[in-house]
Amino acid sequence: MIGKYEIEVYNNKAHYFLSIKRNITILQGNSATGKTELIRLIQEYEENGVSSGITLKCEAKCTVLTMVDWERRLESLTGHIVFIDETASFLKTQRFAELVKGSDNYFVIVTRDDLGMLPYSIDEIYGLKNDEQKYRTYHKVYNEMFRLYNFDISKSIVPETVITEDSNSGYDFFSLVFPEKCISAHGKDNVYNEIRKVRQQSILAIVDGAAFGSEIGKILRYLKWSDSECTIYAPESFEYIILSSGLFDVPKEILDETYLHADSKRFMSWEEFFTYYLADITRNSVFQYGKAKLGEAFKTDGAVKKIVAVLPMNYGRIIH
Amino acid sequence: MLKIYYGDLEADNYIFNPDVFFNNSYEDEWIIDPESKEMIKDIDGSNVIGPRAIDSPFLGSISTERLSGGVKTLILMKFDSDHIFNASACGDNCASWILKIAKEKELTIRLGYLMDFGKGPFEIEILNLNKIVTSMQELNESVLDNRLI
Repeated sequence: MIGKYEIEVYNNKAHYFLSIKRNITILQGNSATGKTELIRLIQEYEENGVSSGITLKCEAKCTVLTMVDWERRLESLTGHIVFIDETASFLKTQRFAELVKGSDNYFVIVTRDDLGMLPYSIDEIYGLKNDEQKYRTYHKVYNEMFRLYNFDISKSIVPETVITEDSNSGYDFFSLVFPEKCISAHGKDNVYNEIRKVRQQSILAIVDGAAFGSEIGKILRYLKWSDSECTIYAPESFEYIILSSGLFDVPKEILDETYLHADSKRFMSWEEFFTYYLADITRNSVFQYGKAKLGEAFKTDGAVKKIVAVLPMNYGRIIH
Repeated sequence: MLKIYYGDLEADNYIFNPDVFFNNSYEDEWIIDPESKEMIKDIDGSNVIGPRAIDSPFLGSISTERLSGGVKTLILMKFDSDHIFNASACGDNCASWILKIAKEKELTIRLGYLMDFGKGPFEIEILNLNKIVTSMQELNESVLDNRLI
């Protein structure tokens, strides 16, 4: 499934607006902000149509997946936006993760617990905002500027330690930019541990925002109450940085309208899509890209300068 | 005293879905209890008209079954001591109420995320570790260092 979908659902008491553009969207936040009410409206509309007194406007079909026969139902669905409430105990199962992978559906999941088996984006975690009592729109839970999180905008960051989520090409590159400061966390699950190990130093942690959704909440809540001085830099992915650097001729819509290209059946996350796309356009060239090791062509002064130019360093936000 | 089990819990008296459990088990007197009324007002912004009728600022007159999942879980925590409830049904705005209920009785809950209990002071026992913590920093570090969630 590809595309961006505007969803408007309302009855005479509540009116919701959502915009969905990736395969996984997470809704969370305080109690009594209307998450369950939203699911209820969609379910009642699904069961009763216009007779429900509810209006649902969306170019894709919307459905609610409950505990009842969930596995068989999910296997048979295609082209739907599937809403799931936190009361569904299958959310954290391996089987659910398997069925989401390769699914031709988008998922909107209400949950406060992290779903570590699903690679969802930091950008697609939303909370409800009551503009007025009746009208409810969703806003990003994790707001950022320059894709920097836990960042004091009045200051520049001078990192003494740089932690990369990636252990391969991304780590190779940032080791060039931050020589002798860079360490790899060897995966998203270990970023917190590496932050914890560093004491009394300014830290910059570089993660793939497109698939770091299950970790960001834990780390930012930890940082809120700790004395650790750590900023998270979360671009979509290292490959996205390269694609947006101008090093290659990349159509603007690949970067700006990724939802038109990153088919959920083929790509579990946009990180996977950007990796595929970069590998595809550099195949059989000196820049041939592989995730395991950064090619020498990317390490030349000219290439490094171009890539660094799209990083927050270019805006004086990070001093390296 | 508040006791928290973090992560996936398997126990005969564990209630994963307090919302549905509440609908099928609540007593009328729970709803008209003064502290329940306060919780309903604080979390949902609603007024209790009677044990089976709530005045919601968003939804109008609603039945008790349409209270938020968070406030239903709080009421269960207060009145049902036989079960362990999944407090991931509660947002951060329920945290101070959980601490308050736990001052009045021994309360055991399950959590799957780092609920923000604020500056404290508080005493929380992390059951997985048999450890008592007194600050959010200590709580978060204990949970994450031990990969409880």
